[in-house]
Amino acid sequence: MTGYALRPCLTAVSPHAAIISLVTRRFSVPARLGLALLFFFALDALAFRTGWYVSILEPNSTAGFLETYLNIEARRPVGRYRQVVAVGDSRMGLKSRVANLLTGNTGCAFGTISVPGTTPRCWFYMLREIDPDCDRYDAILVPVDSYDDRSWENTADRDLDINYLAPLLRVVDLPRFVLSYPSWPNRAHAAEAVLFKGLVYQHDFQAFLEHPRTRLEYVRLQEEHARDWYYNAVWERHSLAGMSVDWQARTAVLPAWLGPEKRHEIEHALLDDPPPDSADYARYRRQWLGSILDRYHGSRTRFLFLRLPRGPVVRPDPQPPDASSSIRQFAASGRIELLPEHLFDSLERPELFGDALHVNEEGGYQFSIMLASEVGRVLASAPGSR
Amino acid sequence: MLFHTPQFFAFFAVVLVLFYTLPRPAARWILLAASYFFYMCWNAKFVLLILVLTAIDYTAAMWMRRLPAGHKRKAALVMSLAANLSFLGFFKYYNFLASNLAWVLARPLDAFALHIILPMGISFHTFQSMSYVIDVYRGEQEVITDVVDYALYIAFFPQLVAGPIVRARHFFADLYNWRAPDAREILRGALLVVFGLLKKLAIADQFARLADAFFRDPAANPGYLAAWSGVIAFSIQIFFDFSGYTDMAIGLAQILGFHFPENFRRPYLARSITEFWRRWHISLSTWLRDYLYIPLGGNRHGRWQTYRNLMLTMLLGGLWHGASWNFVIWGGYHGALLSVERLLGVRERQRWSLFDPLRVALTFALASISWVFFRAATLHDSLYILGRLFRGPHGHILWWHWQLWFVLAALLLAVLEESYGWFERLPEAPAWAYASAIAAVLFCLELIGFTGRAVPFVYFQF
Repeated sequence: MTGYALRPCLTAVSPHAAIISLVTRRFSVPARLGLALLFFFALDALAFRTGWYVSILEPNSTAGFLETYLNIEARRPVGRYRQVVAVGDSRMGLKSRVANLLTGNTGCAFGTISVPGTTPRCWFYMLREIDPDCDRYDAILVPVDSYDDRSWENTADRDLDINYLAPLLRVVDLPRFVLSYPSWPNRAHAAEAVLFKGLVYQHDFQAFLEHPRTRLEYVRLQEEHARDWYYNAVWERHSLAGMSVDWQARTAVLPAWLGPEKRHEIEHALLDDPPPDSADYARYRRQWLGSILDRYHGSRTRFLFLRLPRGPVVRPDPQPPDASSSIRQFAASGRIELLPEHLFDSLERPELFGDALHVNEEGGYQFSIMLASEVGRVLASAPGSR
Repeated sequence: MLFHTPQFFAFFAVVLVLFYTLPRPAARWILLAASYFFYMCWNAKFVLLILVLTAIDYTAAMWMRRLPAGHKRKAALVMSLAANLSFLGFFKYYNFLASNLAWVLARPLDAFALHIILPMGISFHTFQSMSYVIDVYRGEQEVITDVVDYALYIAFFPQLVAGPIVRARHFFADLYNWRAPDAREILRGALLVVFGLLKKLAIADQFARLADAFFRDPAANPGYLAAWSGVIAFSIQIFFDFSGYTDMAIGLAQILGFHFPENFRRPYLARSITEFWRRWHISLSTWLRDYLYIPLGGNRHGRWQTYRNLMLTMLLGGLWHGASWNFVIWGGYHGALLSVERLLGVRERQRWSLFDPLRVALTFALASISWVFFRAATLHDSLYILGRLFRGPHGHILWWHWQLWFVLAALLLAVLEESYGWFERLPEAPAWAYASAIAAVLFCLELIGFTGRAVPFVYFQF
């Protein structure tokens, strides 16, 4: 620096020359940084898009749980019977072991990819994974809690779906999957899951690093036994037998074996107001159930929708059916078939439920028998002839 | 707006585009506006403080320019230093002094306390402006006549909140001889930014969880192994946190065509505390040397004066970090160690000997012990933890195995950098090698970078 009258020489260098120099000099910046990104995505793809990491996922994590179900279903031998698979969440009471006891009569072999906590958005990607060519199944069973579009929850913004679906998402899913979330934070999270799977697996990976041997051993055990564990699983043996509800006073008498948390849960589910009609939920269902149906358009697969047993006791104030609901409209356009709405009303008894929403072992047994028989009967008839 | 958040990278991208595409005369204004905006994202009101200090120091220097050497010139210096130290003293030390006064007067400790928000980066930018004014007074620095240039020196966003403390002559040499960074510099800058992110998110924040858990309730993890692992976790956190921040600051500045001095040179490979201070927070230690230790007399007036000067410098250095007795003790501890090493004739050597790994381990242990005072909430906690380091049952190590392996890998990289300087060579290495290094860092960040709520940098509190 010389003298006091210093003039900044920031004016001396042309910005264009500066930028050009970055590109053309020996150490080409864009080329190197571009190559770095390419290498990074290659590493990421090698780890997370080849199935390697999925093979060591914690089986009890959300994604690991879903993968286990899909693996079991993928390995289920396809015989000469009609192939039927059920999607759904934890409320889907189909025990495929029980349903398959009737295969001789129904002519159907049942499998299930009903994973607790999943939603139609998950089912879309799960079915795409398990049945990429839309030619594996004669029928897909889609359970719903109501043929109307009633919900408390804004399912469209459920971020748990991202954790479930991380292994199944491809780069091409970016726009559809990301934009299916209404909120920006969840859109960002969804984009992360599509582009940077490592971010979604981060906790799982660090847990793996903490106990690698234990994880690998558990994964091996799952590989060997998961099918038996899940296929022969015994559900809740307790029942709500003895419960009663005073609808006037909005009080419930519940069995003594229930803990306070479970009690609260059941009272909340039974005694609170029923969910309202939800335009958001209708839109969500149209989008994702519609996408599933679009994928299978022109295939031999039939879609059978069923209303699940609603609970251990039924409210005395039934809401009138809404003819314009998404599911009823799908049925009216012939894209799906609805099993009779009241088919499972006879199962809505306390002795067949383990809590307010889920059938118990006995309920699952009876539900599976009824459902298998009905599905066998429906599939024996031509589509749309009922 | 922290360096490791997406918001900051969006901000930096905008600054970069504007800086390189708008006409050159606008460049300084863009950087200055960006710097004030960056600061105002934390607290808009406090930008006034920076403006006031900038005006005072600018005026003082301009004054000195017109005055011949003598009392009036000195008065301008004193006025400037007094203003800086008053602001720093009020915001940083008022409550500390008030609580001590209350203790002396046997009043409740908060009897004279005020609710004061510590302005972000005040310790750094006041030291920076003080160094400028002192250098002008000494005739070692030309007076900056353009107020925009001077304001940019004080507020330049890459170094505003946690340094490095850049000397005026370096900054203005860059500003007045600015040239577009060449490809090597850009590549080095990018490398520093991603490595800084790795240090912060993948190492510091991982160990922050361990250290926080330990220091929050030291009694919850009994045994000396637990104590050592908790303390070492903080040693690792603070180094990777601060040096990660500094790397990012240096890298960001380099991409903009500015060259900040090195602030850390693998301090945990130091073989003595003396060497440690030549490698740790170099911009602060050289500041303390040039503006405190040497003016106090340095080592020119005999052994005892030297020890006194070392102690004073380190005590004030400790106090610079924070207003509590813990920081004073931390500084005193380091001052004492430096004095002892001087007494024992410990010298820095270039070549490594067989016993040097042991010396490194000992120095690291001594430095880690000092961090107890730095991190513990109270003096009582510090003493409790120190006791736990050396007695009691063995307990268990708080780390996971993979964290140990990760630190060993970092140590190996540090040793290789010390021996071969691989980092500095990387921008000139074949494209595949450079790209692989960046890709590996990004992959590590993806897998073990902490993605919870952004953890603030440790040194932001100073």
